[in-house]
Amino acid sequence: MGKYYKDTEELYTIYGYFLDNILKDPKIGSKLAKAGIVIKFVYTDPDAEITIDLKNPPKKEGYYGTFYLGKCDIEADVWSSQPADHSHRFWHGLENPIAGVAKGIIKQGGKVTAMLKLLPVIKPTFQQFPIALKEMGREDLIVTK
Amino acid sequence: MYGNTGKVIYINCSTGKTEIVSLDEDVYKNFIGGSGLAAKLFWDYADFDADPLSEKAVLILINGPLAGVPLSGTSRMSAVARSPLTGALAESSCGGYFPPQLRYAGYDGIIISGKCTVPSIIHIAHGSFNIVSSEELWGKTVGEAYVKIKEQYGERSRTLIIGPAGEHGVSYACILSDAHHAFGRCGLGAIMGSKNIKAIVIEPHKTIMKYFEEQKVKSLIKELTPRIKEYIISQVLHEFGSAGNLEGHMYTGDVPIKNWTSNFNEEMAEKLTGSTLTEKYLTKTGTCAYCVVACKRIVKVDEGPYSIPEGPGPEYETVAALGCLLGSSDLAAVCKAGRLCNEFGLDSISTGATIAWAMEAFEKGDLTEKDTGGITLRWGDMPTVIDTIIPSIARKEGPLGQLLSKGSRLAAKSINNNLIKYTAQSKGLEAPMHDPRGGGHGHALAYAVSPRGACHVSTAMHFMETGACNYPEIGFEFDLEALTDEKKPETMVLATAIGSIENSACFCQYADRSLTFAEMVGILNAVSGYHYSLQDALDAGWRIYHLKRLINHRFGLRACDDALTERMLEPARDGEPQGIMINFDGMIQRFYELMNMDNVEGVATVDTLHKYGLEQEAAIVWKKRK
Repeated sequence: MGKYYKDTEELYTIYGYFLDNILKDPKIGSKLAKAGIVIKFVYTDPDAEITIDLKNPPKKEGYYGTFYLGKCDIEADVWSSQPADHSHRFWHGLENPIAGVAKGIIKQGGKVTAMLKLLPVIKPTFQQFPIALKEMGREDLIVTK
Repeated sequence: MYGNTGKVIYINCSTGKTEIVSLDEDVYKNFIGGSGLAAKLFWDYADFDADPLSEKAVLILINGPLAGVPLSGTSRMSAVARSPLTGALAESSCGGYFPPQLRYAGYDGIIISGKCTVPSIIHIAHGSFNIVSSEELWGKTVGEAYVKIKEQYGERSRTLIIGPAGEHGVSYACILSDAHHAFGRCGLGAIMGSKNIKAIVIEPHKTIMKYFEEQKVKSLIKELTPRIKEYIISQVLHEFGSAGNLEGHMYTGDVPIKNWTSNFNEEMAEKLTGSTLTEKYLTKTGTCAYCVVACKRIVKVDEGPYSIPEGPGPEYETVAALGCLLGSSDLAAVCKAGRLCNEFGLDSISTGATIAWAMEAFEKGDLTEKDTGGITLRWGDMPTVIDTIIPSIARKEGPLGQLLSKGSRLAAKSINNNLIKYTAQSKGLEAPMHDPRGGGHGHALAYAVSPRGACHVSTAMHFMETGACNYPEIGFEFDLEALTDEKKPETMVLATAIGSIENSACFCQYADRSLTFAEMVGILNAVSGYHYSLQDALDAGWRIYHLKRLINHRFGLRACDDALTERMLEPARDGEPQGIMINFDGMIQRFYELMNMDNVEGVATVDTLHKYGLEQEAAIVWKKRK
């Protein structure tokens, strides 16, 4: 098991809360929706899978996309696989995704270029991730440099 | 000999004398090929007192040892001379289709000296080469000359052509290969023009190359090609071109805007990025020989004031230099301005940077209508840039054309020395479109210590600092924080060697990103039989770097010339890097220590030069000093 999440359920709880915030954020969510793609994140240690659908109409009103925790049948346009710890640090703005690919820590496939275009869009969320952890009472998971 | 042919064409344009120079295998092994071998030949053939545009000056074009191998990113060559823009060593690299044809014709390069009495071309075909009068091509744009040459020598002939800017001796005129690929930097087109050479034309030859290890080369090509194609950077380059990450760069503060006075503009990020170019104007992709990345853009702007027919489109540097730097987010205008630079044979980086400098100087009242011949300069005024400024630079017409054709440093000096403060250059070479204040502080060091001046491809620092490569086999396996000086001098030592190897083996710095260092050396060995260990390859890289610095020393450059301008080092005013200072002096001091370079003379110590086998060269430079 990795350093930050004790199990898959804990990972889903945290990412679920965070993504719920992001996908209804008018500034970030609206820009994400422009990508018009389905992204699948595959995590290891703990094993988990999260799909973000920015292509189909959102399932909930007031949201710019839909996310699914766990395996789902929606076909992904692009996928990315990495250790959950690496992702956790990434959302704090502490990991360079290009370096992650160069070192083989992150594996990707599909319309990678479409996902890369989202990097500038999600940059503001790096400040929101620690805030989300704090709101959840999980200050223990906040990573500093 | 394997890979290389061991033969270089020598042409004296004044006397008409031509000969084949045979080179020993040791020279190749010591200097690899491309930029390194060209620097070595420059050392041997150059008259160091000659003006860059004089009859005595030499222009040297040398293939990489891999040119002609059917592997992505290896069919390239380098050109070396003394720069009319900087007075220092000029070098530039170019892909396309000319390098493999030169190799198949049986030659590794061309040394050109003297001056033809009338405008001419150098024609290479079927084991012979000669100078042919071509007065009818003089004055033609690159595209016009290209069409005429193809009509005369056949559709499959390959060309290096200069435009009117080269003919008029514009300090940053470039050489275009097949009217698309460019030896962009340092004014090499002006040198070709000063020799009355409008073009070099090579007719197609049968594909013959001898490899040291035939089977190994084949299996490496098979193994590496899909990896290069699938690498994330290759995918972005293929789909969106080299401007594919302009948007991402913008958010880090890497893109200089309005003559480096700003590091962020959301509108430019969206309107000028590579995906917008693909969506709006791309008709098809283009490529260099044997490359699966295909990063080149073919574009067409159908309507409006900036309409252009289908043809070469802008890459990242052009988009940023003729868009962001000039305060314009009009992508159609950028396409047209870029096309004009190609047609006139102008380096788009120096063109954009010099115009941007003039715009700021005009805005501040330091440059007046008296200096510009009544032309008003305004940020983002693309009609004036396209209709008036670029053509006048290319033909050195009017006060403004004459002033800006000198490049930003000399233009500033000729008005008032104080105006140098808002140029963005090192050694007189305008900086490329990566602002070290946001892109990474290591870039600042790389720009300053690059022998040719501010350059992001002389070394591998740009890619190492952004995390795009990882070489644990030679000790580079740590992450770098962009906006600090931490580990930058140490990284720069390795980056210097890797950059020298890339530019001498003539690996494309895009296509080779997914290769390990060991694989780069492996393919070099398998093709050329150099028998390099990893350390041997690094040593060759450092040898080449030190030789280039010795050349610069003979041109009068010293450690104090490893400098950046005030504008490049002042804290950024906005964006991600706002307010952050670069520890430039600390980085450069440490780099000098690590490289055993004399901090006054700007060259390596005698012992260090001896270590790299540069005894004779050291004796000349250090003896002269005493």
